[in-house]
Amino acid sequence: MKNPTVNLRDLVILVADPNAYARRITNGILRGFGANKVLEVEQTLSLFQVLSGQKIDILLCDTRLPPHGGLMLTRTIRRNSNNENRTIPILLMSSDTGESTIKNARDAGANIVVAKPMSPKSLYDRLAWIAFNPRPFIDTATYFGPDRRFKIEGYPGGVGRRKGDKQVEVAEEVGPGLAQDDIDNLFSAARKGQPDA
Amino acid sequence: MPNDAKHEVTVFYADNRFERMARRQGGVAREQALENAQAHIEELKSDFAEWLNQEMQELRNALSQLEGHPGDMPYLDRAYQSCAHLHDVGATMGFELVTFVANNLCEILDAMKIGAPYDKDAIDCHVDALMLAKTEPYRHVSPDQVPEMTSGLRRVGELVSIVPADDNK
Repeated sequence: MKNPTVNLRDLVILVADPNAYARRITNGILRGFGANKVLEVEQTLSLFQVLSGQKIDILLCDTRLPPHGGLMLTRTIRRNSNNENRTIPILLMSSDTGESTIKNARDAGANIVVAKPMSPKSLYDRLAWIAFNPRPFIDTATYFGPDRRFKIEGYPGGVGRRKGDKQVEVAEEVGPGLAQDDIDNLFSAARKGQPDA
Repeated sequence: MPNDAKHEVTVFYADNRFERMARRQGGVAREQALENAQAHIEELKSDFAEWLNQEMQELRNALSQLEGHPGDMPYLDRAYQSCAHLHDVGATMGFELVTFVANNLCEILDAMKIGAPYDKDAIDCHVDALMLAKTEPYRHVSPDQVPEMTSGLRRVGELVSIVPADDNK
C-alpha cells in the first residue's frame, strides 16, 4: 500500500515529553492528522498515573523523559506482566540518534524511533508503518516486545537516500548521529535473519 | 521478568487497538493530514520567537552556572537539557540553523559529561552562533547555506570534545 491513510480519531494518544513546547508541537501535528484524544505528560510519574487510570492506544515518548529516560520507561512497561498497557505501541522520539541509542531503543521494546526535530511527514509515516505492519510480540527470558526480526518493505511515503555519517566523533562511544533512514534500517536490522546485520 | 534459563520463548499477536482503529476507513488522507499538521505548526509560530528568547535565556543562565561549577553533572545536565530543547523544536519551526548549533553544543556538553575539559570559548562561540541564528536574516537559513560557520563550529566541537586518556586505568 503506497500511501495508506491513518485514522487517529478516538484513539487515545499519550505524548510524554519534558519539553512543553515540543509537546505542543507534537499535539498540534497529531490533531492535524485527525487525532482528538491527545494526552500530555512531562515526566514518568505522571505517565504512570495516566497509564494506571486508563487504557492508552499508543505512547509517543521522548528518550530523555525524566527521571530515568524513555528507554528505561519502555523496558519497565514491557517487562511488567501485570500492566495491561504492556503491548501498546511505543514510538520513541529521540534527538540522540547515535547508533547505540537506537539499538538500545529497539532492544528495550520500542516499536520504532523517530528522530527529533520531527517533521509531520516523518511522524505520519511511522504511525502508518506501525498501523499497517503488525508484528508479533516475543516473550523470552531477556526480552519482551515487538519482534525485532522484521523487514521494512518501504514506508508509505517512501524512504529517501541514506545520508553519509557525520565526520565528528565525540568522545569514546557516542559515534555519529544517524539519519532517520539509518534509524529505520537499524529497526529492520534482522531483515536477513541476523540480529544486527 | 524472571531470569529463568528455562523461560520458554512465546510468540504471539497482541490485540492491538491502535492497529485496528488506525486502519479504519474515514481517516484524514495523508497529504491533507500533512497539510493540516503544517497549519497547526504555523499557528504555533506566532509565539515561537518569545519561547525561543526565554529558552535562550534559560540556556545562558544554565551555562553561566556551569562556568562556576565546570564538570558538575547537575549543571551540565541542566545546560544540556536546555540546549536539547532548542535542538528539538528549532528545525520543526523552520529554524534549521538553531537546531544545527544547538546539536553541536549538545555534543560538546555530552563530551564534558564523560570527561572532556570545560572550554568557555567553545561554549561562548556557540551561544553567539545561537544568538545569530535566531535573528531575522538567519532564521530561515539552512546550515548548508553558511558552510564557513557550520564547518567552523564542527571543528570547534571536534577539538574540545576530546576526552583525555585516564592514566589511572
